Amino acid sequence: MTAGKAKRLKAHPGWEAWLGDNDRPARAPRLARDLDAILAAGPKPADWDQARRALQHKLQAAIPAPVYYGRIARSPVGALWLAVSEQGLVAVEFDRPEAEFRRSLERRTHRRALRADDPTDKARRQLLDYLKGRRRRFSLDVDLSHVSTFQRRVLHAAQAVPRGQVSTYGQIARQIGKPRAARAVGQALGSNPIPIVIPCHRVLGADGSLHGYSGRGGIRTKAWLLQLEQAQLPGFSAVP
Amino acid sequence: MPPPDSEILVREYARPIHAYLWRLLRDPSAAEECLQETFLRVATAAARGDPVTHPRAWLYAVATNTARSYGREIARRERREQELDPDLEDRSATVPEAAERRVRLRQVESAVGRLPPKQRTALVLRKYQGLSYDEVGAALGCSPASARANVYQALRHMREWLGEEGDS
Repeated sequence: MTAGKAKRLKAHPGWEAWLGDNDRPARAPRLARDLDAILAAGPKPADWDQARRALQHKLQAAIPAPVYYGRIARSPVGALWLAVSEQGLVAVEFDRPEAEFRRSLERRTHRRALRADDPTDKARRQLLDYLKGRRRRFSLDVDLSHVSTFQRRVLHAAQAVPRGQVSTYGQIARQIGKPRAARAVGQALGSNPIPIVIPCHRVLGADGSLHGYSGRGGIRTKAWLLQLEQAQLPGFSAVP
Repeated sequence: MPPPDSEILVREYARPIHAYLWRLLRDPSAAEECLQETFLRVATAAARGDPVTHPRAWLYAVATNTARSYGREIARRERREQELDPDLEDRSATVPEAAERRVRLRQVESAVGRLPPKQRTALVLRKYQGLSYDEVGAALGCSPASARANVYQALRHMREWLGEEGDS
Protein backbone atom coordinates (compact mmCIF):
# COMPACT_ATOMS: atom_id res chain seq x y z
CA MET A 1 0.00 0.00 0.00
CA THR A 2 1.43 3.41 -0.89
CA ALA A 3 1.89 6.11 1.69
CA GLY A 4 -0.71 8.23 -0.09
CA LYS A 5 -3.42 5.60 0.25
CA ALA A 6 -2.46 4.87 3.83
CA LYS A 7 -2.78 8.55 4.65
CA ARG A 8 -6.13 8.80 3.01
CA LEU A 9 -7.40 5.82 4.96
CA LYS A 10 -6.12 7.24 8.20
CA ALA A 11 -8.43 10.16 7.59
CA HIS A 12 -11.34 7.77 8.07
CA PRO A 13 -10.99 6.13 11.47
CA GLY A 14 -14.58 5.02 11.06
CA TRP A 15 -13.55 2.54 8.38
CA GLU A 16 -10.77 1.06 10.47
CA ALA A 17 -13.06 0.65 13.44
CA TRP A 18 -15.74 -0.86 11.21
CA LEU A 19 -13.29 -3.38 9.78
CA GLY A 20 -12.00 -4.24 13.23
CA ASP A 21 -8.55 -2.93 12.30
CA ASN A 22 -8.40 -0.81 15.42
CA ASP A 23 -10.58 -0.60 18.46
CA ARG A 24 -10.90 3.13 18.78
CA PRO A 25 -14.63 3.73 18.72
CA ALA A 26 -15.72 5.70 15.69
CA ARG A 27 -19.02 6.04 13.93
CA ALA A 28 -19.20 3.88 10.85
CA PRO A 29 -19.52 5.85 7.60
CA ARG A 30 -22.82 5.82 5.77
CA LEU A 31 -21.55 3.45 3.11
CA ALA A 32 -20.42 1.04 5.84
CA ARG A 33 -23.87 1.05 7.36
CA ASP A 34 -25.43 0.43 3.97
CA LEU A 35 -23.05 -2.44 3.28
CA ASP A 36 -24.10 -3.92 6.59
CA ALA A 37 -27.75 -3.56 5.61
CA ILE A 38 -27.08 -5.60 2.49
CA LEU A 39 -24.54 -8.14 3.68
CA ALA A 40 -24.44 -8.48 7.46
CA ALA A 41 -27.50 -10.65 7.99
CA GLY A 42 -26.40 -13.27 5.48
CA PRO A 43 -28.74 -15.83 3.99
CA LYS A 44 -32.20 -16.50 5.43
CA PRO A 45 -32.31 -19.44 7.86
CA ALA A 46 -34.66 -21.23 5.48
CA ASP A 47 -32.12 -20.86 2.67
CA TRP A 48 -29.41 -22.29 4.90
CA ASP A 49 -31.64 -25.16 5.89
CA GLN A 50 -32.38 -25.99 2.31
CA ALA A 51 -28.70 -25.67 1.33
CA ARG A 52 -27.62 -27.88 4.24
CA ARG A 53 -30.01 -30.63 3.31
CA ALA A 54 -29.05 -30.47 -0.34
CA LEU A 55 -25.38 -30.57 0.62
CA GLN A 56 -25.80 -33.63 2.80
CA HIS A 57 -27.69 -35.36 0.06
CA LYS A 58 -25.07 -34.54 -2.53
CA LEU A 59 -22.15 -35.61 -0.36
CA GLN A 60 -23.82 -38.84 0.66
CA ALA A 61 -24.35 -39.71 -2.96
CA ALA A 62 -20.84 -38.74 -3.97
CA ILE A 63 -18.73 -39.97 -1.11
CA PRO A 64 -18.83 -43.32 0.63
CA ALA A 65 -19.64 -42.90 4.29
CA PRO A 66 -16.82 -43.65 6.70
CA VAL A 67 -16.60 -46.80 8.76
CA TYR A 68 -16.57 -46.27 12.50
CA TYR A 69 -14.51 -48.33 14.84
CA GLY A 70 -14.28 -48.83 18.56
CA ARG A 71 -12.47 -50.90 21.13
CA ILE A 72 -13.35 -53.35 23.83
CA ALA A 73 -10.51 -52.75 26.22
CA ARG A 74 -10.99 -55.92 28.27
CA SER A 75 -12.70 -59.15 27.43
CA PRO A 76 -12.08 -62.83 28.25
CA VAL A 77 -10.16 -63.11 24.96
CA GLY A 78 -8.24 -59.87 25.42
CA ALA A 79 -8.80 -56.45 23.90
CA LEU A 80 -10.79 -56.30 20.67
CA TRP A 81 -11.25 -53.81 17.88
CA LEU A 82 -14.44 -53.70 15.91
CA ALA A 83 -15.79 -51.62 13.07
CA VAL A 84 -19.20 -50.93 11.59
CA SER A 85 -20.42 -49.51 8.30
CA GLU A 86 -23.97 -48.32 7.65
CA GLN A 87 -24.71 -51.90 6.56
CA GLY A 88 -23.40 -53.62 9.65
CA LEU A 89 -20.35 -55.03 11.32
CA VAL A 90 -17.31 -55.02 9.00
CA ALA A 91 -14.51 -56.06 11.31
CA VAL A 92 -13.64 -57.69 14.60
CA GLU A 93 -9.95 -57.95 15.36
CA PHE A 94 -7.95 -59.20 18.26
CA ASP A 95 -5.71 -56.70 19.94
CA ARG A 96 -3.12 -54.88 17.81
CA PRO A 97 -1.92 -51.28 17.61
CA GLU A 98 -4.71 -48.89 16.72
CA ALA A 99 -2.91 -47.28 13.76
CA GLU A 100 -2.28 -50.70 12.26
CA PHE A 101 -5.88 -51.74 12.68
CA ARG A 102 -7.16 -48.50 11.20
CA ARG A 103 -4.86 -48.69 8.20
CA SER A 104 -5.78 -52.26 7.38
CA LEU A 105 -9.46 -51.41 7.83
CA GLU A 106 -9.20 -48.45 5.44
CA ARG A 107 -7.27 -50.49 2.91
CA ARG A 108 -9.79 -53.28 3.04
CA THR A 109 -12.97 -51.19 2.94
CA HIS A 110 -11.72 -48.28 0.81
CA ARG A 111 -13.39 -45.97 3.30
CA ARG A 112 -12.14 -43.55 5.88
CA ALA A 113 -12.09 -45.13 9.33
CA LEU A 114 -13.08 -42.95 12.25
CA ARG A 115 -12.99 -43.93 15.88
CA ALA A 116 -16.41 -43.35 17.43
CA ASP A 117 -18.16 -44.82 20.42
CA ASP A 118 -21.80 -44.28 19.50
CA PRO A 119 -22.02 -46.13 16.18
CA THR A 120 -20.09 -49.12 17.56
CA ASP A 121 -21.87 -49.24 20.90
CA LYS A 122 -24.42 -51.92 20.06
CA ALA A 123 -21.86 -54.29 18.57
CA ARG A 124 -19.43 -53.76 21.44
CA ARG A 125 -22.09 -54.52 24.02
CA GLN A 126 -23.27 -57.67 22.26
CA LEU A 127 -19.75 -58.93 21.76
CA LEU A 128 -18.79 -58.40 25.37
CA ASP A 129 -22.04 -59.94 26.62
CA TYR A 130 -21.46 -62.94 24.40
CA LEU A 131 -17.92 -63.47 25.60
CA LYS A 132 -19.04 -63.15 29.21
CA GLY A 133 -21.75 -65.75 28.65
CA ARG A 134 -24.60 -63.28 29.08
CA ARG A 135 -25.78 -63.58 25.49
CA ARG A 136 -26.30 -66.69 23.43
CA ARG A 137 -26.53 -65.32 19.92
CA PHE A 138 -25.80 -62.11 18.08
CA SER A 139 -28.42 -59.92 16.55
CA LEU A 140 -26.10 -57.86 14.41
CA ASP A 141 -26.04 -57.26 10.68
CA VAL A 142 -22.72 -58.03 9.08
CA ASP A 143 -21.31 -56.24 6.08
CA LEU A 144 -19.40 -58.64 3.87
CA SER A 145 -19.37 -56.40 0.81
CA HIS A 146 -15.58 -56.12 0.99
CA VAL A 147 -14.72 -59.80 0.67
CA SER A 148 -14.60 -62.01 -2.43
CA THR A 149 -17.68 -63.91 -3.52
CA PHE A 150 -16.04 -67.19 -2.58
CA GLN A 151 -15.11 -66.00 0.90
CA ARG A 152 -18.57 -64.54 1.38
CA ARG A 153 -20.16 -67.93 0.60
CA VAL A 154 -17.79 -69.67 2.99
CA LEU A 155 -18.50 -67.15 5.75
CA HIS A 156 -22.26 -67.41 5.23
CA ALA A 157 -21.97 -71.18 5.51
CA ALA A 158 -19.95 -70.83 8.72
CA GLN A 159 -22.58 -68.45 10.06
CA ALA A 160 -25.14 -71.20 9.63
CA VAL A 161 -23.31 -73.56 11.98
CA PRO A 162 -25.39 -73.34 15.16
CA ARG A 163 -23.97 -72.58 18.55
CA GLY A 164 -22.88 -75.70 20.36
CA GLN A 165 -22.19 -77.58 17.12
CA VAL A 166 -19.19 -77.79 14.84
CA SER A 167 -18.54 -78.40 11.19
CA THR A 168 -15.45 -79.19 9.12
CA TYR A 169 -13.66 -77.48 6.28
CA GLY A 170 -14.69 -80.32 4.00
CA GLN A 171 -18.34 -80.07 4.98
CA ILE A 172 -18.37 -76.34 4.31
CA ALA A 173 -16.67 -76.94 0.98
CA ARG A 174 -19.37 -79.42 0.03
CA GLN A 175 -22.09 -77.08 1.25
CA ILE A 176 -20.99 -74.31 -1.08
CA GLY A 177 -20.70 -76.76 -3.95
CA LYS A 178 -16.89 -76.87 -4.05
CA PRO A 179 -16.17 -80.26 -2.50
CA ARG A 180 -12.49 -80.12 -3.47
CA ALA A 181 -11.90 -76.70 -2.00
CA ALA A 182 -11.46 -77.66 1.66
CA ARG A 183 -8.06 -75.99 1.80
CA ALA A 184 -9.38 -72.76 0.23
CA VAL A 185 -12.26 -72.90 2.71
CA GLY A 186 -9.68 -73.09 5.48
CA GLN A 187 -7.93 -70.02 4.11
CA ALA A 188 -11.18 -68.12 3.70
CA LEU A 189 -12.09 -68.85 7.31
CA GLY A 190 -8.57 -68.03 8.45
CA SER A 191 -8.98 -64.53 7.10
CA ASN A 192 -12.51 -64.13 8.44
CA PRO A 193 -12.82 -60.35 8.94
CA ILE A 194 -15.50 -60.77 11.62
CA PRO A 195 -14.34 -63.58 13.94
CA ILE A 196 -16.47 -64.60 16.92
CA VAL A 197 -19.61 -63.09 15.35
CA ILE A 198 -19.10 -65.16 12.21
CA PRO A 199 -18.20 -68.35 14.06
CA CYS A 200 -15.25 -69.64 12.07
CA HIS A 201 -14.15 -71.20 15.36
CA ARG A 202 -16.95 -73.74 14.89
CA VAL A 203 -15.24 -75.15 11.82
CA LEU A 204 -12.63 -77.83 12.45
CA GLY A 205 -10.28 -80.10 10.58
CA ALA A 206 -11.63 -83.33 9.09
CA ASP A 207 -10.23 -85.32 12.01
CA GLY A 208 -12.01 -83.06 14.50
CA SER A 209 -8.78 -81.26 15.36
CA LEU A 210 -9.06 -77.56 16.09
CA HIS A 211 -6.52 -77.04 13.33
CA GLY A 212 -5.87 -73.34 13.66
CA TYR A 213 -7.19 -69.98 14.68
CA SER A 214 -5.87 -66.61 13.67
CA GLY A 215 -7.03 -64.80 16.77
CA ARG A 216 -4.76 -63.91 19.64
CA GLY A 217 -3.94 -67.03 21.58
CA GLY A 218 -4.53 -69.09 18.44
CA ILE A 219 -5.99 -72.50 19.13
CA ARG A 220 -6.38 -71.76 22.82
CA THR A 221 -8.83 -68.99 21.99
CA LYS A 222 -10.65 -71.24 19.57
CA ALA A 223 -10.97 -73.93 22.24
CA TRP A 224 -12.09 -71.35 24.76
CA LEU A 225 -14.83 -70.10 22.45
CA LEU A 226 -16.07 -73.63 21.79
CA GLN A 227 -16.07 -74.32 25.50
CA LEU A 228 -18.04 -71.15 26.11
CA GLU A 229 -20.59 -72.43 23.62
CA GLN A 230 -20.52 -75.89 25.19
CA ALA A 231 -19.81 -77.42 21.84
CA GLN A 232 -20.04 -81.18 21.50
CA LEU A 233 -16.69 -82.00 19.97
CA PRO A 234 -16.16 -85.24 18.09
CA GLY A 235 -13.08 -86.62 19.78
CA PHE A 236 -11.79 -83.26 21.03
CA SER A 237 -8.10 -82.96 20.33
CA ALA A 238 -6.11 -79.81 19.85
CA VAL A 239 -3.38 -80.20 17.27
CA PRO A 240 -0.51 -77.84 18.00
CA MET B 1 -1.22 -31.90 9.57
CA PRO B 2 -3.05 -35.01 8.36
CA PRO B 3 -5.65 -34.57 5.65
CA PRO B 4 -8.76 -33.02 7.12
CA ASP B 5 -11.80 -35.16 7.56
CA SER B 6 -14.39 -33.74 5.20
CA GLU B 7 -17.21 -34.64 7.56
CA ILE B 8 -15.74 -32.48 10.31
CA LEU B 9 -15.15 -29.68 7.83
CA VAL B 10 -18.81 -29.82 6.79
CA ARG B 11 -19.94 -29.72 10.40
CA GLU B 12 -17.75 -26.80 11.33
CA TYR B 13 -17.64 -24.73 8.19
CA ALA B 14 -20.60 -25.43 5.92
CA ARG B 15 -22.68 -22.69 7.50
CA PRO B 16 -20.13 -19.83 7.34
CA ILE B 17 -19.07 -20.93 3.87
CA HIS B 18 -22.70 -20.88 2.77
CA ALA B 19 -23.08 -17.36 4.18
CA TYR B 20 -19.89 -16.36 2.39
CA LEU B 21 -21.10 -17.70 -0.94
CA TRP B 22 -24.46 -16.03 -0.44
CA ARG B 23 -22.72 -12.72 0.20
CA LEU B 24 -20.61 -13.06 -2.92
CA LEU B 25 -23.35 -14.33 -5.20
CA ARG B 26 -26.42 -12.71 -3.66
CA ASP B 27 -28.62 -15.55 -4.79
CA PRO B 28 -29.85 -18.50 -2.71
CA SER B 29 -29.74 -21.13 -5.40
CA ALA B 30 -26.32 -20.02 -6.63
CA ALA B 31 -25.03 -20.16 -3.06
CA GLU B 32 -26.53 -23.60 -2.59
CA GLU B 33 -24.99 -24.92 -5.77
CA CYS B 34 -21.56 -23.48 -5.03
CA LEU B 35 -21.69 -24.82 -1.48
CA GLN B 36 -22.08 -28.33 -2.86
CA GLU B 37 -19.35 -27.83 -5.39
CA THR B 38 -17.02 -26.45 -2.72
CA PHE B 39 -17.46 -29.40 -0.39
CA LEU B 40 -17.26 -31.92 -3.21
CA ARG B 41 -13.88 -30.45 -4.09
CA VAL B 42 -12.92 -30.53 -0.43
CA ALA B 43 -13.97 -34.16 -0.06
CA THR B 44 -12.05 -35.13 -3.17
CA ALA B 45 -8.94 -33.44 -1.86
CA ALA B 46 -9.42 -35.05 1.55
CA ALA B 47 -9.83 -38.46 -0.06
CA ARG B 48 -6.61 -37.91 -1.99
CA GLY B 49 -4.94 -37.14 1.32
CA ASP B 50 -3.79 -33.65 0.36
CA PRO B 51 -2.18 -32.11 3.42
CA VAL B 52 -3.74 -28.86 4.60
CA THR B 53 -2.18 -26.49 7.08
CA HIS B 54 -4.98 -23.95 7.49
CA PRO B 55 -8.31 -25.70 6.89
CA ARG B 56 -10.37 -22.54 7.29
CA ALA B 57 -8.36 -20.42 4.88
CA TRP B 58 -8.15 -23.36 2.49
CA LEU B 59 -11.92 -23.83 2.53
CA TYR B 60 -12.45 -20.15 1.82
CA ALA B 61 -9.96 -20.40 -1.03
CA VAL B 62 -11.88 -23.31 -2.55
CA ALA B 63 -15.19 -21.48 -2.04
CA THR B 64 -13.78 -18.32 -3.60
CA ASN B 65 -12.62 -20.19 -6.70
CA THR B 66 -15.91 -22.02 -6.96
CA ALA B 67 -17.87 -18.77 -6.76
CA ARG B 68 -15.58 -17.18 -9.30
CA SER B 69 -16.04 -19.86 -11.92
CA TYR B 70 -19.75 -19.87 -11.18
CA GLY B 71 -19.84 -16.10 -11.61
CA ARG B 72 -18.11 -16.38 -14.96
CA GLU B 73 -20.63 -18.98 -16.07
CA ILE B 74 -23.54 -16.76 -15.00
CA ALA B 75 -22.05 -13.76 -16.75
CA ARG B 76 -21.78 -15.79 -19.94
CA ARG B 77 -25.35 -16.93 -19.61
CA GLU B 78 -26.61 -13.42 -18.96
CA ARG B 79 -24.72 -12.01 -21.89
CA ARG B 80 -26.32 -14.64 -24.07
CA GLU B 81 -29.74 -13.90 -22.71
CA GLN B 82 -29.31 -10.19 -23.25
CA GLU B 83 -28.25 -10.82 -26.80
CA LEU B 84 -31.35 -12.89 -27.29
CA ASP B 85 -33.65 -10.49 -25.52
CA PRO B 86 -33.41 -6.89 -26.75
CA ASP B 87 -36.41 -5.84 -24.63
CA LEU B 88 -34.66 -6.60 -21.39
CA GLU B 89 -33.53 -3.02 -20.74
CA ASP B 90 -36.89 -1.55 -21.63
CA ARG B 91 -38.61 -3.86 -19.21
CA SER B 92 -36.28 -2.99 -16.37
CA ALA B 93 -36.94 0.69 -17.07
CA THR B 94 -40.64 0.18 -16.44
CA VAL B 95 -40.13 -1.10 -12.91
CA PRO B 96 -41.81 1.49 -10.73
CA GLU B 97 -39.46 3.82 -8.86
CA ALA B 98 -38.78 2.47 -5.40
CA ALA B 99 -38.26 4.45 -2.23
CA GLU B 100 -35.06 6.45 -1.95
CA ARG B 101 -33.53 4.03 0.56
CA ARG B 102 -34.10 1.06 -1.70
CA VAL B 103 -32.55 2.89 -4.61
CA ARG B 104 -29.54 3.70 -2.50
CA LEU B 105 -29.14 0.11 -1.33
CA ARG B 106 -29.44 -1.09 -4.87
CA GLN B 107 -26.69 1.34 -5.88
CA VAL B 108 -24.48 0.09 -3.09
CA GLU B 109 -25.22 -3.49 -4.02
CA SER B 110 -24.35 -2.92 -7.64
CA ALA B 111 -21.16 -1.13 -6.55
CA VAL B 112 -20.25 -4.28 -4.61
CA GLY B 113 -20.95 -6.27 -7.74
CA ARG B 114 -18.74 -4.01 -9.85
CA LEU B 115 -15.72 -4.46 -7.59
CA PRO B 116 -12.83 -6.48 -8.94
CA PRO B 117 -13.40 -10.01 -7.58
CA LYS B 118 -10.31 -10.01 -5.41
CA GLN B 119 -11.32 -6.78 -3.70
CA ARG B 120 -14.88 -7.92 -3.19
CA THR B 121 -13.85 -11.25 -1.71
CA ALA B 122 -11.21 -9.61 0.49
CA LEU B 123 -13.78 -7.20 1.89
CA VAL B 124 -16.38 -9.89 2.54
CA LEU B 125 -13.86 -12.26 4.10
CA ARG B 126 -12.49 -9.59 6.40
CA LYS B 127 -15.65 -7.82 7.43
CA TYR B 128 -18.40 -10.43 7.24
CA GLN B 129 -16.61 -13.75 7.61
CA GLY B 130 -14.37 -12.42 10.37
CA LEU B 131 -11.08 -13.65 8.92
CA SER B 132 -7.77 -12.14 9.96
CA TYR B 133 -5.70 -10.53 7.20
CA ASP B 134 -3.36 -13.53 7.47
CA GLU B 135 -6.27 -15.82 6.66
CA VAL B 136 -7.64 -13.54 3.94
CA GLY B 137 -4.18 -13.59 2.37
CA ALA B 138 -3.99 -17.37 2.61
CA ALA B 139 -7.45 -17.72 1.07
CA LEU B 140 -6.69 -15.36 -1.80
CA GLY B 141 -3.12 -16.47 -2.36
CA CYS B 142 -1.50 -13.19 -1.46
CA SER B 143 0.32 -11.58 1.46
CA PRO B 144 -1.60 -10.27 4.49
CA ALA B 145 -0.53 -6.73 3.52
CA SER B 146 -1.91 -7.20 0.03
CA ALA B 147 -5.11 -8.65 1.50
CA ARG B 148 -5.52 -5.56 3.63
CA ALA B 149 -4.77 -3.28 0.68
CA ASN B 150 -7.46 -5.05 -1.35
CA VAL B 151 -10.03 -4.45 1.38
CA TYR B 152 -9.28 -0.75 1.52
CA GLN B 153 -9.15 -0.46 -2.26
CA ALA B 154 -12.62 -1.98 -2.39
CA LEU B 155 -13.91 0.68 -0.04
CA ARG B 156 -12.12 3.47 -1.90
CA HIS B 157 -13.58 2.33 -5.21
CA MET B 158 -17.09 2.22 -3.87
CA ARG B 159 -16.78 5.61 -2.28
CA GLU B 160 -15.62 7.02 -5.58
CA TRP B 161 -18.39 5.41 -7.57
CA LEU B 162 -21.03 6.49 -5.11
CA GLY B 163 -19.63 10.00 -4.96
CA GLU B 164 -18.49 9.81 -1.38
CA GLU B 165 -14.94 11.00 -1.63
CA GLY B 166 -15.14 12.68 1.74
CA ASP B 167 -16.22 11.20 5.02
CA SER B 168 -19.87 10.86 5.76
